[in-house]
Amino acid sequence: MRYGLFAVAFACVSVLPLSAETCLSPFVKRLDRPEKILYVYCVDADAKDNDFLAVIDVEKGSKSYGKIVHQLDLGTKGNETHHFGFTDDRSHIWGLTLFSGRIFLIDVATDPARPKLVKVIDDAGGPADLGSPHTAYALPGRMLISFLSSKKGALPAGLAEYTNEGKFIRKIAFPEKSPYGYDIALRPDLNRMVSSGFTYYDNYKHPLAKMDFKKFGDEILIWDFRERKVLQTIKTGGAPLECRWSLKEGNNYGFTNCALDNSLWVWEGQKDGKYTARKLCDVGKLPADLRQSPDDRYLFVSCFASDEIQQWDVSDLKNPKLFSTLKPGIQPNMMHTTSDGKRMYITNSLLSTMDRSDDFWVKRAYITPEGMRLDPDFIIDLRNLKTGPARGHDMLLN
Amino acid sequence: MEISSNTLSRKRRTTPMNILLLFLTIAGADDAAPRLAVIKAAPAVKLIDQDEKPRRLEDYRGKVVLVSFVFTTCSGTCPATTHRLARVFHDVQKRHGLKEKVEFLSITLDPERDRPEVLKNYRKLYDIESPAWNFLTGSNKQVKDVLSAWGMWARPAANGQLDHPSRVFLVDQRGRIREIYNLDFLRLPWVLQDLQELITER
Repeated sequence: MRYGLFAVAFACVSVLPLSAETCLSPFVKRLDRPEKILYVYCVDADAKDNDFLAVIDVEKGSKSYGKIVHQLDLGTKGNETHHFGFTDDRSHIWGLTLFSGRIFLIDVATDPARPKLVKVIDDAGGPADLGSPHTAYALPGRMLISFLSSKKGALPAGLAEYTNEGKFIRKIAFPEKSPYGYDIALRPDLNRMVSSGFTYYDNYKHPLAKMDFKKFGDEILIWDFRERKVLQTIKTGGAPLECRWSLKEGNNYGFTNCALDNSLWVWEGQKDGKYTARKLCDVGKLPADLRQSPDDRYLFVSCFASDEIQQWDVSDLKNPKLFSTLKPGIQPNMMHTTSDGKRMYITNSLLSTMDRSDDFWVKRAYITPEGMRLDPDFIIDLRNLKTGPARGHDMLLN
Repeated sequence: MEISSNTLSRKRRTTPMNILLLFLTIAGADDAAPRLAVIKAAPAVKLIDQDEKPRRLEDYRGKVVLVSFVFTTCSGTCPATTHRLARVFHDVQKRHGLKEKVEFLSITLDPERDRPEVLKNYRKLYDIESPAWNFLTGSNKQVKDVLSAWGMWARPAANGQLDHPSRVFLVDQRGRIREIYNLDFLRLPWVLQDLQELITER
């Protein structure tokens, strides 16, 4: 067979991302060059102006390097703009909101430096009786959205799929006894998805001191993705948040940060096909975000309440080691590592109801063989914008 | 439910496992919410094939169609996609009951270079002689309109190639998109399972 030649040529096509860009859906097209633009999804902190997407020039040598070059007005305020994600072809960003339930579809392909708001889906979860859209996860030609609440702001949370154009396709319900939702992460080669559990709108809408800490998730769900069916429910520490599969093909494990347990947990596939989970290590207070190094060796965990970012060496799962610690400023939260794994962008707003400081910024750290080091020349002050102060949360690079 | 390509092979078609599989497939098709959700109506396609014969997607009603988008000079995902599809195609051709109901269409992303005779040669590279897999092209505008309708695009990249999304669409007998694969999900046993489910839907 002539096409047998192609079998040899393509037998080694990896099922995992060929690029080093970590913590995106494996279906998102990867950058094949250093980043030029950093998008920061911002809440207008004094709620006087509309929420917006900040466009920051991060191209070395550019005249406007290190500056906000554009603010895309999202047209409404009070949305609690939180997480966002690329579509599979990286042409659009889906911006999600924790208070209003809106989803913003933003074109970042036509002119990446001046993104354009092309569609707003009000009450995006409505067709599925869901609210509080949290995680935007690209599938081929579609988006999988994790919602934190029912439409009324209570439980159960759930998942829903949409076309890239924003048309609702279907709801994926959580089991009755596991009603909490937060993040989702897929390993296509294993046909497995993991979801985690935070809390719901009627609880997180209150200031931190008034939240009911008994009403948070404390388990992860293991899914057969093609069946959209839960196979296992596994107990973890309180409030497992980000879900990060190991990046190496053949590795059948992943990590989550348990915010109320101040710990990292690892889930591991066993020979019988089932999964187990265990505490990997104790970390700083309120671990809010979790990122991976491209070589799969390090985890970066932002500890919101102890004002630090910890870098853990997890090359030996039986003996994780704290490799370095960075003190970037008060309440570090979201992180985004670059495609070469050498830089990390950091923001410091978690949620309007949970922030304890008004000193909002975007900073950058170098990730060196010796550990993390703050870049003293890259600080974006988010307190004095033309729209007043802003809480920066999630970030994406382009 | 995961099945291997062997599970569905001709030799073992009448084993109890396959009878059970068929039962489960038919039972699944009766559910209000099938495993393969209806994503959206497949947009129209009206182009010409490698033999310059007009082809319209609407003429494939009653068949399950795998629609891919590739270009012949691609050095990225297109050859890998076509190779994976060829594995599926050659396997399907061995299965009575399936081969009569499944068609393949590959639409060029580069109509300027991929003229019918080029597509004819490309087809030969993958040992495709059956009329069940056709490669389509047209004028620049015709192809551009089809790409746009399917949410696809092709733009010149810095390396001289075309940058484009990598997607393969599974279209059911009623002309509806029921799955979108990229290379990660374009696995022989999984695609066979999906095809089997769709051809038994009523």
